[in-house]
Amino acid sequence: MSSVVWVDAVEPDEAVAAAGSKIGRLADLHRAGVEVPQGFAVTVDAYRRHCTDAGLDARIDAVLAAVGAEPSEAEVETASAAIRELFVATPMSEALAAEIVDAYEELCVRCVDVNVPTAVRSSATGEDAADASFAGIFDTYLGVSGAPRVLDAIRACWGSLFTGRALAYRLRKGISHHDMPIAVGVIELIHARASGVAFSVHPVTGKPDRVVIETSWGWGEAIVQGVVDPDHIEVGKADGRVLRYDVAHKAIVSAFDFADGRVTEVEMPARLADRKVLDDEQVGAVVAAVTAIEEHYGYPVDVEWVISRHRRAGDGICIVQSRPVTVTAEEPTVVAYDPVALAQKYVFSGKPVPGR
Amino acid sequence: MANVVPLDAYTGEWYPGYKPEHFDFPYVVDAPSPFRPGDENAFWFLDFHWSRGLTPLAATLWSADGYCAGTQGASESLPLPPGRGVTCRFAGTHLYGSPIPEEDPREIGARANRLGTNLPHFLQNYRSIWESGRDELEATWDYFQGIDLTTVPTAELGTLIRQGRRYHKRAMEIHFGVMYPMLVNFLGFYGSCAEMGIDTSLVGKFLQGEETKIMELDRELYALAIKARQAGLSQVFADNEPQNLRAALTTHGGSAAQWLTDFDDWLRVWGHRTDATCDVGVPSWIEDNTNAFGNIKTFLLKETDHDFEAAARHALEERDAAIDAARSGLTREEQAVFDGGLAANQAANFPWWQDDHNYYIDLKVMLPLRQACQELATRVGADHRDDMLYLFWPELLQVADGKPYAGELSGLVRDRRQYFDHWHGLRGQMPKVLGTVPDSVEDPVLIEIFGINPGSLRAVQNPDAANETTLTGVAAARGTATGVARVLQSSDELHRVAPGEILVCESTSPNWTPAFGKIAGAVCDGGGMLSHAAIVGREYGVPTVTAVGIATVAINDGDKIEVDGTNGKVTILKRAAELAGDAGQP
Repeated sequence: MSSVVWVDAVEPDEAVAAAGSKIGRLADLHRAGVEVPQGFAVTVDAYRRHCTDAGLDARIDAVLAAVGAEPSEAEVETASAAIRELFVATPMSEALAAEIVDAYEELCVRCVDVNVPTAVRSSATGEDAADASFAGIFDTYLGVSGAPRVLDAIRACWGSLFTGRALAYRLRKGISHHDMPIAVGVIELIHARASGVAFSVHPVTGKPDRVVIETSWGWGEAIVQGVVDPDHIEVGKADGRVLRYDVAHKAIVSAFDFADGRVTEVEMPARLADRKVLDDEQVGAVVAAVTAIEEHYGYPVDVEWVISRHRRAGDGICIVQSRPVTVTAEEPTVVAYDPVALAQKYVFSGKPVPGR
Repeated sequence: MANVVPLDAYTGEWYPGYKPEHFDFPYVVDAPSPFRPGDENAFWFLDFHWSRGLTPLAATLWSADGYCAGTQGASESLPLPPGRGVTCRFAGTHLYGSPIPEEDPREIGARANRLGTNLPHFLQNYRSIWESGRDELEATWDYFQGIDLTTVPTAELGTLIRQGRRYHKRAMEIHFGVMYPMLVNFLGFYGSCAEMGIDTSLVGKFLQGEETKIMELDRELYALAIKARQAGLSQVFADNEPQNLRAALTTHGGSAAQWLTDFDDWLRVWGHRTDATCDVGVPSWIEDNTNAFGNIKTFLLKETDHDFEAAARHALEERDAAIDAARSGLTREEQAVFDGGLAANQAANFPWWQDDHNYYIDLKVMLPLRQACQELATRVGADHRDDMLYLFWPELLQVADGKPYAGELSGLVRDRRQYFDHWHGLRGQMPKVLGTVPDSVEDPVLIEIFGINPGSLRAVQNPDAANETTLTGVAAARGTATGVARVLQSSDELHRVAPGEILVCESTSPNWTPAFGKIAGAVCDGGGMLSHAAIVGREYGVPTVTAVGIATVAINDGDKIEVDGTNGKVTILKRAAELAGDAGQP
């Protein structure tokens, strides 16, 4: 079985099983005609073989056997550190490494870049799926450049299957790590002018009549991690009108550190901090992308998107992640003024009218 | 946690000669009375409408026909699902109101169903419902106006007195029958706006700018002030107290004679108004010119005239801009809801009605009864023309039907005047709330009109209220103003307010409106977003904070204060005593 599948080539019916849910959805989006970055995934199968062939499984089980049924937080952390160290210290087989290096060099050619910077992302089979508890729990490395660093980052991602949080969760639920193998995506890092998230419904109220966008300069990590207060935009779905655009003071930015070879969070340059990130055309492109994805899946989604430095007006925007939105509207959308329903709701409910 | 404010101190004797049967009137849910043991189980709020106190006749007729028939009847017929209107009790001459809760879940559900039928019917037919009610009342008013009381045989005065009371009672049926559904419609729109993320302090603006009879009256009054200035009479007004102005102008002669003729012509049209709400104890401006002269006197102190046209234009521009700004932030689906709600509320415009109806009802509805009582007093040789207002209704009918007034009844009236004066002096010390005080109330009338909300309920229970220097309330009309506070007990004192000062009172009613042309700001103990002060403050662009709870307690007359009507804050910058000290410095 191949250790590598390409985002633009994997069969849809085997994408999630081979490449995990994150990369599987990216492959699915590609087939649906959405603009996504170039990249490949190191498959679940490759991870399994690495664990078996290099003798990792036995050593992991030994560490876990020493941990009781109800370990303390400190015991979990100790076990986690020990297992992750095993992943760092255990080299890949030469055959697997060669296969990945070959794929990486192919990616460089496709991107017309030597040592193209990549996002190396964990793509677990349990993650983002039915149980949202695993969302964001595994590692992602942004700006990984050159084959040796890519290989290291892949092993680190594998090890992140055993972070303290993940381990504690599985121990609590009695799930074996063997049942939750992990794939790792190696994805072209788009040179981001601006990035953000977009929701095809309001993420808090669930109102389906609007798209909500949050955005800042540079890469989207600072937004996803919640370390920057992003610009907030709401757009009416029916007519594409910008309903509000709240420009935030964006104090932190995720920028590429060339010396360090990775994306890192730094202070936002003063001239950019209070500047409006998106113009109307760009807002329109984000809305077009997120509504198309919602339509494709038939349910509300949130997406992470990037506007490349090379994008021109009229081009699409690049989607780097997509997930179902779990929030549902509290009540059906009101389509007309109904004084009786409103009286029941606000005047006779015993609750104060909102906004006072 | 509900706190109980004891009311034992108010459950003893009432007006001299009072017997429980004096209050034996039809009511719907709960009858009015003086406070009784057991009343501490309910929540009672001091009603700002009657800050002077009420005479026996005024107390019993308003409480029985206004609250206990009017509000209770209207809340049954609309109906209001969880509330059954307002009932009342008296502590001395002072009226405390209480919302009557409906607690039976089945009954609440049944009432909700009735509302579902009745509210749409009302809104579809609002115009004809209100206008036919108003026209009916105007026809009755015209009937009374057509009667020359001096020629009515004494034996027929009793009929007129009974008709006068029925006029008031019918007016209250119409009043609350219209007010409740309009309020419900407004609050539904308000809640809907809040849900759509519209800044709710703008909702009042969407409906402002419609001319009311009260605004027309005020503009005409202002025009008289301008005429006085043009006639060179400013100095006469400056030199004389309001109660002496007629005499002074008569003595002055010349241009003053013509001005007085104009003034009297004006009174014939606009003077059928009291400075009170449905209070038979208070004279009209025709009967007593003092407040009319007082208002004109203070208008003349202003260096620049209030430009009514510009203010009206500005109110309309502000309205349209607020509507456009709100709509632009809504999705197309939301715009449909907003537009429907706006149209329904423009058609049945509650803030507009809340001011306009006072001209037709509250300010004059007790005058026919009052005038018939005064005529009866003259016929029976009473010491004062308003003696009959100190009788209870059954006593009044006995006198009208021939019982001698002199002796026992006239003696009681003398005692009751003393009782009234005694309690009038206690107004400032009356607790703002009595009985079982909740953390919050549900009745929309109490919240939006009386301004009884969690903040004001906390404030009025603060034992250190008199020493507070930072007060909070409802941000009723935007803007900030700094000035000297004038703390008034009733609108009779309005002439004490100089231009640029800040009005502080329990709450305002339409009879206070002339003040808004000259004050820099307003602060009230009571009053919600839909209270008179809030609505007029917005129309006149006067920064206003309502529902402060303790404004008249914490602020002293003459303090320098800042009113922040945008954020609902009032700050006492310097106490009157300190200011006086500063002035005394060499």
